[in-house]
Amino acid sequence: MSFEGWVPQINDYTSLREVVDFAFDYRGNTTVVKRDGGEIVGYIFNREADAPEAFIQLFDEQGDGPFTIPYRDIATIKFTGKDPAAGNSWKAWVERKEKERALRAAASGADRLGRDPGPDGG
Amino acid sequence: MSVPVSQMYTVASYVLQQKLRRRKRYPFVLMLEPLFRCNLACAGCGKIQYPAQILKKHLTVEQCLAAVAECGAPIVSIPGGEPLMYPDIDKLVAELVKLKKYIYLCTNAILLKEKLHLFTPSKYLTFSVHMDGLREEHDEAVCRDGVFDEAVEGIKAALQRGFRVTTNTTLFDGASPLRMREFFDEMMDLGVEGMMLSPGYSYSKAPDQEHFLHETRTNQLFSEMLSKPKRRWKFNQSPLFLRFLMGKKDFECTPWGNPTFNMFGWQRPCYLLQEGYAASFQELMDGTKWENYGKKSGNEKCRDCMVHCGYEATAVDHTFSSLKGFAETVSVTLSGKL
Ligand code: SF4
Ligand code: SF4
Repeated sequence: MSFEGWVPQINDYTSLREVVDFAFDYRGNTTVVKRDGGEIVGYIFNREADAPEAFIQLFDEQGDGPFTIPYRDIATIKFTGKDPAAGNSWKAWVERKEKERALRAAASGADRLGRDPGPDGG
Repeated sequence: MSVPVSQMYTVASYVLQQKLRRRKRYPFVLMLEPLFRCNLACAGCGKIQYPAQILKKHLTVEQCLAAVAECGAPIVSIPGGEPLMYPDIDKLVAELVKLKKYIYLCTNAILLKEKLHLFTPSKYLTFSVHMDGLREEHDEAVCRDGVFDEAVEGIKAALQRGFRVTTNTTLFDGASPLRMREFFDEMMDLGVEGMMLSPGYSYSKAPDQEHFLHETRTNQLFSEMLSKPKRRWKFNQSPLFLRFLMGKKDFECTPWGNPTFNMFGWQRPCYLLQEGYAASFQELMDGTKWENYGKKSGNEKCRDCMVHCGYEATAVDHTFSSLKGFAETVSVTLSGKL
């Protein structure tokens, strides 16, 4: 499951702390919407929910930073960037390999049939 | 076992110094990640899934050296990403050699042959080449055909020029003990100094979640693979760690044994889990709730973990903690019987 595209509303059911935790685990860029209306797009690599002043840290889209933003300044976090951890490349790879093997086996079988001398040597 | 005497001596005297100073927690290997960029995208890898701006970034040599000084561990492992893609890898290695740190440069070896001229052979520098088995298994694990052959070429070239070369192998579910035994033979035929083995860890960010090993299967696989080990097989790791993987020893994790530093800071709590970052090594050591990690903690993320970066430090510490541990290590090393 990926959070890609999720725009959470902070309310009685979804706390900011939870959203920050999800955003911290997310491997794509997010958009941090601040209480003053400002937005910053970047990769959240750290959060300290239990610090005296809880904060997140991120590198912005240009790779500049780290920028530190206190929880109290955040209205919500939107999961706007592509999730690079999503997908199943192992499965895709194994399936491709299996197809290739099957094709090779079929081709070599046909090849053998084509070249095998028959029982009469002909 | 195949670690040179000078390295064994350095590690042994370092561990004994820590014990004399009664340091409860001390680092053993610094995992220094100068970048996350890689020229492969292996299915079992949890290190490369980042947005483009992060993959483009890297640490400076000065930041790397500051981390090495802060940490003080005698061994520096440079994983990544692919460290040979780090633009200052030659400068970094040269500085670490000057500091007499034993360096394990962990590479998939695709670029090894073309970059060898950047380095000078030294007892302090080892290329630790990622090899997950024989040709078919390795190419499958790294999701690209032809990589095994490229790595073999790189290994041959490095050995020819007099570099220390080891292999590092991560084993996933479905690995065949017999094929692995053939793999050990093949690596020894190539002339590598030693091999390092570890079971894979189920990264929540790695795309392949189905092929990681759980504890009993890990014990079974390693027991079959390492039963009656051939004398010619050389392992570049603690024999007690291998016995642990075979189910012959019961160890607890030492998460601070292999602290990890990268562009985000000091990773809490270990090389595998990313639960946050500390700004300094001291903050990592003092501010991490270590009791929340390892099997005894009940943390489900640690339940099935038997990975070298958590347990090899335990094995080494065990060797130097008691005469019994020391005698066991010596006896396994001399007899070659795991
Ligand atoms: S070579 Fe190493 S860093 Fe690169 S994708 Fe594979 S496991 Fe990850
Ligand atoms: S048991 Fe594994 S995952 Fe848990 S702290 Fe130790 S090394 Fe990390």
